Amino acid sequence: MWLPALCLIVGLSLGLMTDITVPDQYSNYLSIAVLAALDTIFGGIRAHLEGLFNEKVFLTGFFFNIILAALLAFLGVQLGVDLYLAAVFAFGVRLFQNIAIIRRVLIDKKQKNVEM
Amino acid sequence: MKFRGRHVVLSLVLLVFGFLISFSYQYTQTETRVVQISDQEWEKDYYYRQQLLDLEAKNIELRQQLNKNRRQVQELEEELGQQQTNIGEFVEDKKELQMLVGELPIQGEGVKLTLSDASYIPTEENANQYMVHDRHIQLVINELYSAGAKAISINGQRIFHDSYISCVGPVISVDGVQHPAPFTIAAIGDSDTLNVSLNLTNGVIDILVNDQIDVEMEKKDTIEMKARIS
Repeated sequence: MWLPALCLIVGLSLGLMTDITVPDQYSNYLSIAVLAALDTIFGGIRAHLEGLFNEKVFLTGFFFNIILAALLAFLGVQLGVDLYLAAVFAFGVRLFQNIAIIRRVLIDKKQKNVEM
Repeated sequence: MKFRGRHVVLSLVLLVFGFLISFSYQYTQTETRVVQISDQEWEKDYYYRQQLLDLEAKNIELRQQLNKNRRQVQELEEELGQQQTNIGEFVEDKKELQMLVGELPIQGEGVKLTLSDASYIPTEENANQYMVHDRHIQLVINELYSAGAKAISINGQRIFHDSYISCVGPVISVDGVQHPAPFTIAAIGDSDTLNVSLNLTNGVIDILVNDQIDVEMEKKDTIEMKARIS
């Protein structure tokens, strides 16, 4: 259990230590990538709670979502349409759904525990 | 093995996730800091920009004024130059007039007349009739002046506009200076004109000759006359 936590800490410190400055026009990609990652993490937690967790789906979903979101943002920039908003919207909605489901599942579990 | 694989996947994902989150956080922080700074300085920036604009406008105005002033200066200079040339011309005119009036020495071509008493005087009683009188001189001088003489002198003494010639016995007084015969009258002017005008039929020379006066006339290329001593 300590390996993922260690990796999270390493990743966080790595991100804090890097001195790479991203040009302004790429800040959209970064934010969308963060959102995609967040969405995938919560999706993973939800899947885990529902007992449907598949590491392959999780892993590919994580990277695929990030890349797809960046691609969408790139396309939007090229077309002059703020397509990354679509990604933000989609990920935001899914994020809320996932969190809602996680909450419900957790509440259900607790109630079961109380009943038992 | 499955458990381990899941752990690896989870850690990998979390690594990337952590990196992304922290990097984004850091990036946003620096960006917002920049934005904040520019926000704080926006007013200052605007103020300075406004100042710069004001200065530039003022600059342009001053430049225009400078151009205007330069043009004015140029005009004044031109006027001054014009005045200077005018003054030069005036000085020339004045010199000429002074020459004519006698305040400056004058020289030029002209004629020289010598009037002398008749060499042969038949009777002493009528000696008066054979002498050169002031009226003869005046006649000659008037004729010369009307012929366009610029300056006239008698025996080297210049005649001025207020000169007088009078007969004092056998001598002639010009401005109080007495001159005995013969009298040399020099006139500066166009020598041909003077010559012709003196030699007219029944002209001055004829009259003089009729009055028994010896007249000698010669043209001169240069005659010099001194200025009035005042």
